[in-house]
Order: sequence, then structure tokens, then C-alpha cells
Amino acid sequence: MIKLFWQRLAVFQRAEFLSARDLLQRAGAISVLFLVAHVAGLREFTSVLNGTVGSVAAGWKLSSFLAVIYILLYLAFVILVPILILAAMILAVGQRFRRKQKAVPGDR
Amino acid sequence: MKSRIAKILAGLAALVVAAIIWLPCLHLLFARPLSEFRQNPGLSPKARQLAARHLQLWTEPALREQELKKMRASNAEWDFMGRSYLVWSLANMALRDPPSKQLYLQTMDQIIDETLRLEKQEGMYFFLMPYAKERHYLVQPAHSLFLDGEIALMLAARRVVEEKPEYKPLLTERVNVIVERFQKSPRMLLESYPDECWMFDHCVALDAIKMADYLDGSDHSALIRGWIAMAKQKLVHRDSGLLISSFTTDGAPMAGPEGSSIWMVAHSLQLLDEDFARDQYQRARKELGEITLGFGYAHEWPESWKGEANIDSGPIIPGFEISAGSSGMAFIGAGTFGDGKFLTSLAATLDFAAFPSRTGGRLKYCASNQVGDAALLYATTLGPLWQKVKTGGKP
Repeated sequence: MIKLFWQRLAVFQRAEFLSARDLLQRAGAISVLFLVAHVAGLREFTSVLNGTVGSVAAGWKLSSFLAVIYILLYLAFVILVPILILAAMILAVGQRFRRKQKAVPGDR
Repeated sequence: MKSRIAKILAGLAALVVAAIIWLPCLHLLFARPLSEFRQNPGLSPKARQLAARHLQLWTEPALREQELKKMRASNAEWDFMGRSYLVWSLANMALRDPPSKQLYLQTMDQIIDETLRLEKQEGMYFFLMPYAKERHYLVQPAHSLFLDGEIALMLAARRVVEEKPEYKPLLTERVNVIVERFQKSPRMLLESYPDECWMFDHCVALDAIKMADYLDGSDHSALIRGWIAMAKQKLVHRDSGLLISSFTTDGAPMAGPEGSSIWMVAHSLQLLDEDFARDQYQRARKELGEITLGFGYAHEWPESWKGEANIDSGPIIPGFEISAGSSGMAFIGAGTFGDGKFLTSLAATLDFAAFPSRTGGRLKYCASNQVGDAALLYATTLGPLWQKVKTGGKP
């Protein structure tokens, strides 16, 4: 029952590859993952960028691993997410324009 | 099938167009007016927030211990330099913000006293990298110009803000040691590590000597002029015209011109020889500074010199050849010479890529560390200390 409810929500329905909805779903997924990493405090570990261990207790290996995860998600969030949203908007406008063009002859 | 391929191509085309629109706009998310970073007169919001974090470190020993532990695991020098940059910053802040002067002076004294205690108790190697012990210093008894110069400049900066009689003999003693060694050295080159001399340390030490002259009425102007004339002649990289970073006591180059050093060197030289300082900054700006899509950054080496990433350069980001060390120190150069365009673009990069973290009015950069943040604080506050000494008003 619960599964059916989630499946019915448009946002979770599998979209066509590189369609506007697909791009928005990817943007949403990245945003959620970044938010989780941010709330979990992984930002602290980015000190490995200047050669300082993020946490003495966690050690170099784990600190570096967590830093890489955070940095990749952050870059994806600030660079990729806006691009995905813009691209989705461009596609949506394009589709609307094409639909309008198709509709015009029939209206006459 | 044809329609599916067409849809995928349309999606890809939309992504390309979106990237072309977004990438040149990205810096606008992080760009702030210059007054956010540096203000004249007074203190910028960023300076206040960075300072609040540093003052917290000196009022909460457990927090400071934790920060220093992390830094010392990589480099004991950073512990020492973090202290120096903070004291120099607080001196400038005291001159910029007289109502808070007593708080800044208290913290400066606390840092200076603890640093001198540690140096006395643990020995000079406490603040040096382990390889300092691998060989003997050529000149005995062993002294590191790195420590002597920065400690002398801390003491002098404190006294320029407000005289503290207890520090007068300490500064005189430290300056005398440096001057005596300069006079005895055939090439006027002093060791920071065994047979390893650094431009950065020489310039800082000469600043301290100049400030001691200002405070105590001594006159070492001939020594300073002589050293600068020697450096122009023997320690300049021919292709770039930039001063080299490190050399042996014979003057043989060890490292070439480096961004992690030259920006601070240009700043230090401003107190000693304004024209030469500006020349070095402009060359560094041309050879090392870059602005791409609104983001400022700096290379570690000019194109005419090939080097390898080290503890000073920090990691080098391939492609753009961005050096974290050089980019961080570039703030000091740009702040010194009023290069607003470069400073604003560097600040945009800082907020984009250094992961600022704000809590309760305190700011730190997660991708940085205490010494990096202290150098940034110095870039936001520098100016009044040099100005006071240069204009020659009564101490």
C-alpha cells in the first residue's frame, strides 16, 4: 500500500532518459545526497585539501575518503544541479513551443 | 527509435546550453563587495568573524589543543606561523579598532608569552619540521631565522601598538642576534634550517629590524639597503624577475620563485623598499595570478620554472594548476597593493571552494586550517602597522 503510494507520486516515477523530468529527478537526488552529507558534518573533513587531517581520531584514510565524498557532492550541487534544472526548463519550453506549432494548423 | 535518439540529442543539447549559461554566472553566487573583505578605515565583517573564531581558540584551551594537534600532525611550522599571523593581525586590528585594543593586546601577550615559553622549554626544534635535526646548522650556536624573525616581528608589532617594557629587552636581544649574524655572514644569508635559507624569513626579519629602529631609535638602514641590493643582484630568477624562495648559505638556489612565498615577500618588502615591493607584486600578479570565470586563484610557479607540489604549495589542482598555498597567500599581496579586482575574485573563490562555516558570528574555512585562516585574517587587516612605522610618527 505504502509502496503504491510512493510509486504514484510523479517525482518517483521512472522518467525517460534525459527528459525534463529525468533531469529534475537527478537534480533532486543530488540535492538530497548533498544535504545528507552536509548535515552529517562531512564539511569538516575538507581540511585534507590543505594537508591537515580532518579528524585525528578518524585518521588520514577515512578523513580523505569522507572529504572526497563531500567535495564531489558539493561540486555536483553548485555546478551540476543548476545546469540540470536549467536544461529541464529549456526542454520544457522547447516541448511547449513544438506543441504549440503542431496545434496551430489544426486550430484553423 | 529515431524519436528516442532525437530526444536524447535534445536533452544533451539542453545540457550544453544550460552549462554555457550557468558556468559564467556561477561566481555571482559567491561574489561580494570588496568592503565585505577589507575596509578602510575600520574592520570588515569578514575580519571580525575570522577574528572571533581565533579569539575563541585562545580562550578555550581544549578547542585550541584540538586544532593545533591536527596541524602539528602535518607540520609543526604551521603551529608557529598561526601564532605569528594572529599576533600581526591583532596588532593591525588594535590600530583599526581602538575601543577593542585592550582585548587584542591581552591576546597578543598571551600568544607571545606562550610561544616564548614553548621555545625555551622544548627548544627551537619544537616549531620546526623534523628534518631540521637531520643535519647540523653551519653557524653555531644554532639559530633559525624563521623563528627569530617572526618572534622579533611579533614583539615589535605588540610594542608599536602600545609599549610593553618587558618586551623591549626581548626584542633588542632577538634583533641583535639577527644583525650580528648578518654582519658575520659573507653573503648576508642566514639559515632557517641547516644550510637552507628562505626569502620569506629574511624579509620578515628585516621588517622586525626596521620596526626595532622605529621603536628604539637604532639605525640599521645601511644593513637593510645592502641586503636588498644583494638580493636584487643575486637572488632574482632571471626569466620571471621574481625573487627565489630558498637558497643555501652560499646563495645557490634551492627552490625557484614560488607563489606560497612571493606574495608575503612583496608585502614584507613594502616596509623596506616600496618600489621594489610593487615591482615584485606586479610581476607575481602577471606570472602567477589568474582570474577565470570570475574566480581568482594563483599558481605556485611561473611558466618558466617547473616545480613539484610540496607542503608549502599545497595540492596543485591539475588543468588550471591552482595552488592552494599560493592562492591563500595571494590575498596578502592583493590586500597590500590595493588590487581590488584580484582580491574580490580571490574572495569569491574562497567562498566557493574553501567551505566557509559560520557559527555564532565566528567564521572558519573548513578547507583551510588555523594558520590558513590566520593568514586570511592578516590579509583583511594589514596596513595600519606598516603605515605607522613608515610615516615615522612617535611610537
